Amino acid sequence: MSKKISFADAFQELESITEWFETQNVDLDEGVKKFERGLELAKMLKEKLASVENTVVTLKKKFSDLDNSQTL
Amino acid sequence: MNAVISVGDYLGLVNHSLRTIPHEGMVIEGEVVDFKISQGKWVNFDLKDEKAEAKISCFMTVFALNVPLQGGMRVQVAGTSKVFERFGKFTFNVTAIELVGEGALQKAYLALKEKLRLEGMFDVERKRSIPRFPERIGLITSGEAAAYGDFLRILRNRWSGVTIVHTPVTVQGKDAVQEILGAFAQLNALPIEDRPEVIVLTRGGGSLEDLHAFNSEAVARAVFQSAIPVVCAVGHERDESLCDFVADVRASTPSNAAERVVPDRREIDMNVSVSIDRIGDQLQYEIDGKMHEVDRAVSIFDRSLARLMQSMDDVHRRFGYAFERFRLSLVATVEYVDRRVQTIDNRLRVVIDERSRSVTELERVLKSIDPKEVLKRGYALIRSHTGKILRSSRDVAPGDRLTIQLGEGSIRAQVESNATQESLL
Repeated sequence: MSKKISFADAFQELESITEWFETQNVDLDEGVKKFERGLELAKMLKEKLASVENTVVTLKKKFSDLDNSQTL
Repeated sequence: MNAVISVGDYLGLVNHSLRTIPHEGMVIEGEVVDFKISQGKWVNFDLKDEKAEAKISCFMTVFALNVPLQGGMRVQVAGTSKVFERFGKFTFNVTAIELVGEGALQKAYLALKEKLRLEGMFDVERKRSIPRFPERIGLITSGEAAAYGDFLRILRNRWSGVTIVHTPVTVQGKDAVQEILGAFAQLNALPIEDRPEVIVLTRGGGSLEDLHAFNSEAVARAVFQSAIPVVCAVGHERDESLCDFVADVRASTPSNAAERVVPDRREIDMNVSVSIDRIGDQLQYEIDGKMHEVDRAVSIFDRSLARLMQSMDDVHRRFGYAFERFRLSLVATVEYVDRRVQTIDNRLRVVIDERSRSVTELERVLKSIDPKEVLKRGYALIRSHTGKILRSSRDVAPGDRLTIQLGEGSIRAQVESNATQESLL
C-alpha cells in the first residue's frame, strides 16, 4: 500500500475495518488480511502521532505569495 | 435636652429627606460594576464614578431591565434612593436604565444581530462540519497577539503534521475590517492544493470597541460567504461577537479554537490502540470459534472412527471365528475324505486280492483242463487232413490221412479201416 495515504484516510480505513469486524460474520482469511492491514494502518497512524511538528506558512498581506515558512 | 428617637424613626427621617431629591428630569451616569442577578429576579450592581471614586449600590428587577447589561458598561439610571431599614444600607432603586457610549454600540450591535438572525445567517442547518483531521488550517489573527501564540501552542500540544496558513491582520482599529476581509478573500482564492480545509478567525478578549471588527456586518458576511468552513474564537469565555454566531463552529477562546479544530493525539492514539485491540480480540474470538468447530469435527470424526474400528474389530473377530470354523470343517472334510479314500483303497485291495485269488484258481482249473496236459497223460488228438478234430470213426474213411497229436510230438497216419467205437473196443 502507498505510504502517501493521509492521516484522515488511514484513520477512516482503520475505523471501517473495526466496524467490519464488529458487524460481519468474519471470514478468517479475509479477517487475517484485514487485521494485517489494520496493524499496518495503526503503525502508520502512531508514527504520525509521534511527530510533534506543525508548519506555519505566513502569507503576505494582500499578496498570495508565500512569505516565509517556519517549523515550530 | 436631646430628643431620643428610635433607629427606625431616624431612618424614616432619612428616607423622608431622600424623597425630597428630585427624581424626574435627572439621571445618574456611571459605570456598572459587580453586576449580578439573583434568583432570576433581582438585579444588583454598583454604579461607579471613576473620577471621584464614588459608588452607589443599585437595585432593580429583571423585568425593568430592558438592556443586556454587563459589567463595565456606561449607563444612565433614573430612580429613587432609600435606606433599607433592615440592612441599614443605602440603595438606589432603578426605574429606568439606558446605555451610553458602549451602551449605544451595544444597541447597534443588537439591532444588527437581529437583522442577521432574520436573514438566517445564524441557522444551525447551514453550519458545516470541519474535517476531523485537517491538514491545512487557515489562521486569521494578528501575529503579535497572545491569541496567535495560544492557538499555536495548544495546536502543537494536541496535534501535529498540520500546516498553518497564517494571514496576519490587525484585529482592532480602523484597518481591522478591511484586513480581515482581505484575509478571507486571500485564503478562499488559494489554489486547491494550498487552500486550507478550515479557517480559524480569532483574537483575545477586549472591550466592545476593541471587538468592533468582529461585530461588523462586512466581516460577519465574509464568514458567512467563506467557501471554507470557519471556526470563530473571539475574546474570553463570556464574550460574544456576531462572527461567533455566523461561524460554523464557535469557540470560546483562541485555545479553545485549537481544541475544536484538531483532535487530541493522546485520544486518537488511544482510539487506534483500542481499535487494534478490538480487531485482534474479534479475530481471536473467530479463530477460537473455528478451532472449537475443528475440535468438534475432530471429536466427531474420532468417535466415528472409533465406532468404525469397533465394528471392524467385530467383523474381524467374526471373520476369525467363521474362518476357524471353516478351517476346522475343511480339516474334518479332508480327514473324512482321507479316511474314505483309505477305506476305498482297502476295499479295493480286498477286491483285487479276491480277484487275484480267483484268477489263480481259474488258472489252475484252466491248466487242469488244458488238452496238452491231457495229452501228457497219454491221450491223443486226431485231426483230419482238414485239421478238424475227429470225434467219431465215422468221420473218416479208409485211406484218409490223419494227424495224431501226442503229449510230445505228432504222427502222420493213414486210415486202414474204420469201425464203430464199440467194435473197436
